[in-house]
Amino acid sequence: MRTTRRGLSLVLVVGLGLVAASCGSGEEKKPAAEGSADGPVTITVGCQPPKSNPKERTAWDADVAAFQKQHPNITVQSKDAFPCINPDTFQAKLAGGTQEDVFYVYYSDVQKIMKAKQAADISQYVGNVKAAKDLRPDVMGVFKDGDKTYGLPRNNYTMGLVYNRKLFTQAGLNPDSPPKTWSEVQEAAKKIAALGAGYVGYGEYSAGNTGGWHFAASLYARGGSMVSDDGKTAAFNSPEGKAVLENLKKMRWDDNSMGSKQLLQWEDVMRMMGSGKLGMMIGAPDVVQSVNNDFQGKFEDYGVTAVPESEGKASLSGGDGYMFNPKATPEKMKAGLLWLEFHELTPGQGQFNYARSKEQGRPVGLPIPDLYGDTAPGQEIVALRKQYATVPVDHFAPYVAEQSNITNKLEPPKAQELYAVLDVAMSAVLTRKDADIDKLLRDAESKANKILAKNT
Amino acid sequence: MRTLVSPLSLRTPSGRIIYWTTLVVVVIGFTGAFVFPLYWMVTGALKSPDEIAQIPPSFFPKHFDLGVYKDAWEQLQLGIFLKNTVLYAGGAWLFTLAVDVTAAYALSKLRPFFGKLILGAMLATLMIPPMVLLLPTYLVAKDLPIFHASLLNTPWAIWLPAAANGFFVFLLKRFFDSIPRELLEAAEIDGASPLRILSSIVLPVSRPILGVVSILSVVTVWKDFVWPLLVLPETDKMSISVGIASLSAQMPQNVLIASLVIASLPTILVFFVFQRSIMAGLTAGSLKG
Amino acid sequence: MAATRTLARRPRSAGSAGGGGAGTRGGPVEEDRDQTGALRRAVGRNLTAYGFLCGALICFALFSWYPMIREVILSFQQNNFVDPGQWVGFDNFRTVVEDPAFRSAWLNTAAFSCLALVIGYAVPFVLAVVLNELRHAKAYLRFVVYLPVMLPPAVAVLLFKWFYDPGAGLFNQVLDAFHLPPLSWLDSTSTALVSLVLVSTWMNLGTGTLIYLAALQSVPGDLYESAELDGAGLFRRVWHVTIPQTKLILLVMLLLQIVATMQVFIEPYLLTGGGPENATVTVAYLMYQYAFNFGDFGGGSALGLMLMIALLVFSTVYLRVSREAEQ
Repeated sequence: MRTTRRGLSLVLVVGLGLVAASCGSGEEKKPAAEGSADGPVTITVGCQPPKSNPKERTAWDADVAAFQKQHPNITVQSKDAFPCINPDTFQAKLAGGTQEDVFYVYYSDVQKIMKAKQAADISQYVGNVKAAKDLRPDVMGVFKDGDKTYGLPRNNYTMGLVYNRKLFTQAGLNPDSPPKTWSEVQEAAKKIAALGAGYVGYGEYSAGNTGGWHFAASLYARGGSMVSDDGKTAAFNSPEGKAVLENLKKMRWDDNSMGSKQLLQWEDVMRMMGSGKLGMMIGAPDVVQSVNNDFQGKFEDYGVTAVPESEGKASLSGGDGYMFNPKATPEKMKAGLLWLEFHELTPGQGQFNYARSKEQGRPVGLPIPDLYGDTAPGQEIVALRKQYATVPVDHFAPYVAEQSNITNKLEPPKAQELYAVLDVAMSAVLTRKDADIDKLLRDAESKANKILAKNT
Repeated sequence: MRTLVSPLSLRTPSGRIIYWTTLVVVVIGFTGAFVFPLYWMVTGALKSPDEIAQIPPSFFPKHFDLGVYKDAWEQLQLGIFLKNTVLYAGGAWLFTLAVDVTAAYALSKLRPFFGKLILGAMLATLMIPPMVLLLPTYLVAKDLPIFHASLLNTPWAIWLPAAANGFFVFLLKRFFDSIPRELLEAAEIDGASPLRILSSIVLPVSRPILGVVSILSVVTVWKDFVWPLLVLPETDKMSISVGIASLSAQMPQNVLIASLVIASLPTILVFFVFQRSIMAGLTAGSLKG
Repeated sequence: MAATRTLARRPRSAGSAGGGGAGTRGGPVEEDRDQTGALRRAVGRNLTAYGFLCGALICFALFSWYPMIREVILSFQQNNFVDPGQWVGFDNFRTVVEDPAFRSAWLNTAAFSCLALVIGYAVPFVLAVVLNELRHAKAYLRFVVYLPVMLPPAVAVLLFKWFYDPGAGLFNQVLDAFHLPPLSWLDSTSTALVSLVLVSTWMNLGTGTLIYLAALQSVPGDLYESAELDGAGLFRRVWHVTIPQTKLILLVMLLLQIVATMQVFIEPYLLTGGGPENATVTVAYLMYQYAFNFGDFGGGSALGLMLMIALLVFSTVYLRVSREAEQ
């Protein structure tokens, strides 16, 4: 868009400026020289725990120190922007070149980023990561586009049903035998809501694209799909999709077990869970972790089981990981992969250093992340968790038991846009008693088809 | 000064009743509508997270736990954030006044060629939602054209864009327009330079509008969120709204509310302190139609 | 006013205040000299003016005008911010216009603006008029009315989320106390937008009230006196004296309010996430979705450009009409 001359002079001046202003980062000045990977390299890594999480931060810093000792030529500069990825700033950082070399992403961002070519292709180098071959193929699949790999996972979880054991006991239900079918969920929700005003049996999102997100999760758990296999048409206007909305309609209006406040988003439902007034919700075990971290809920009070009636079906995979700045040099990519392997993918180390976590008094024993399935590293991790467990592991047993029967299913293409469309259906069902589910699904389907037909 | 209602009618018994009823209603109404949230904030911070989530909420916290304010201060590093924000807001205030007052003065009294065009261009900037300009403006802050410096993580990234405020220039110009020509021409005859005229004649008369612009500019910078989030990503340099928001997901509800209270106090204090001069100025000045 | 009166009393202002100094002497040669003198003075004045404008021109150029131009460019491109942008002509505009949410976004935004006018335009003015009459507690009331403006938006959001809770929120409890049926506030397509307007009004009316208060100070008292002597009651005095005297500021604030409310974003973003059923999706919210959630910055910029053009056209028409009305 600029004339060539202006563009060239700009590049020249910026280049000079960068060199002049480089703040002694010890960076290699030779651009992309295929020199030895042993030359000094500095990488910036995002999602360092903030200072308000002192234990995690100490652990991270210790890991950085240990890693740098092991690889004296690599310097790791940690960035602690929180939340780790913010849609408002992501594009700007990328455009301005201030994106970290190794940046954090949620699964739901990955497809968008890959399609827009906003992450580097690390296929050539990922072969050096020994741990990668044991990763669950469906988890690695999240970061792949065809044959090319664009990142590595850090966290992985499938949806389950999170429930408040204390409320179950209070309502006369057995916390060790959580609902296995949707009608059992409806019964339980009714009983919990009956405990009094302000008690909600079952909570669900319906705003800010989170409604659509959970619609997809519930749909997958019933064996449905958001889009056709070729990704060109919407597939959620199906008996399964209808069942999702009918279930919510019944609980909301017939049983009145979902509370009167709707249009809920992440924080709202977390708050409800944390205050001990919410009976059940769809979520992964990280919900329990959040509730404990941020809303002072106690681990003993919660349990997680599989989504009802989901055996043999799929689950909307959720999680996070790291991708690479598209402008990163091969040296940086190699160094970044070494760090990721060290910190995220090695049993007993980095995020899996359960011995240290226990010492620090952090919770150990949650069944996530589940990166390795049943392979050797996976079993090692499970054993370590058991060894150092500090939370009641059996509260998660029903969830874990089902995992082998459930496949991770990727988010649909144009996920955010489809979720925005389905938010309409979710919010309609939850705020209007006379919502016509067939019509809602039909409308959503035609809107979704238009979105999928766009080739941007 | 005589206003809508005559002093005479206020002295009649019925006038007095109406006056005092209106006064009481207004005071109670305003307190309810505007002070109540502050009260709710302050006491909400004192409640435990359970109590906050309670529905229906309690009017009075069950236990007073002032320690939560101390917690908020330490855990959220509010001291650093406050210090930063004072720096940003203070500098922005100075720059805004320096840049916008001189511009308004030039446009109003010196009337250069293209003056109308320039004013129009400044006002046009109000027509576009700031969010969309976010990215291009960020690119400028990251790499200033011609000067080729990065303003990121420096206060300049806040100060300079804050001064580019079309609304303030407009307000100031409107006000300056209403200052009688004769005043300035008298000084011109006496040989005063435009700068002298500005400082000794225009500014003293303009105290009210300067006060309004000051408080508006400080409050805007104080509350601003997405821009400081972008240009001040270093946690040590963050402004308070960003700092609190970025840590809020990790905080229990009552600590969060406590930090919001602490964050609001400085602007309230500033307003309180300057209210006298701002408001006194307002009564003497003219924003006449 | 006191200041002007003091200055006006300076004796020297008497005769030489007329004209621009020169030009009172006459004669052809002197006229020539006067003309070049005037020219030089004009040039000098322009130079000084631009000197004063320097700072503003730089700041605006760097942080307003240049970004605006880039934004226009971005709206004609597809950009991933890694590779150079690709020109796509009007594709972004087409995409955005064909989006089913496009129409409802504009309708919702227009509805919001209109509701905000009805509910939120008159209120600050009325408050200012009332405040102007009160002789007691003025400082307190002025402070208090501005309080919501000074609070972080997060506070307002938390507060109103609680107020609007259909089950146990304060508003429904108050309604209940008066034996009135509860409303669904944010959760119903019919009331969601109005609820947002209430929040927005509450958060912003302080600024308007203060500005109007300032304007009211300058209405000459004798106008009221003569109106009262003519037998005009309270309302007629307001209609025939107060409003005409403050007409200009009223018109300007009206325009500014329309422009600002057409860009409403924070309230739907924080309180309703665009719901229920897209009833609170506004143009600015849609812009945010495109630019930041869907990763389509070109689409977002296209929307922004359309909004800007709409507002510019509106403002020009408005100003022209109001200027004509004045004459």
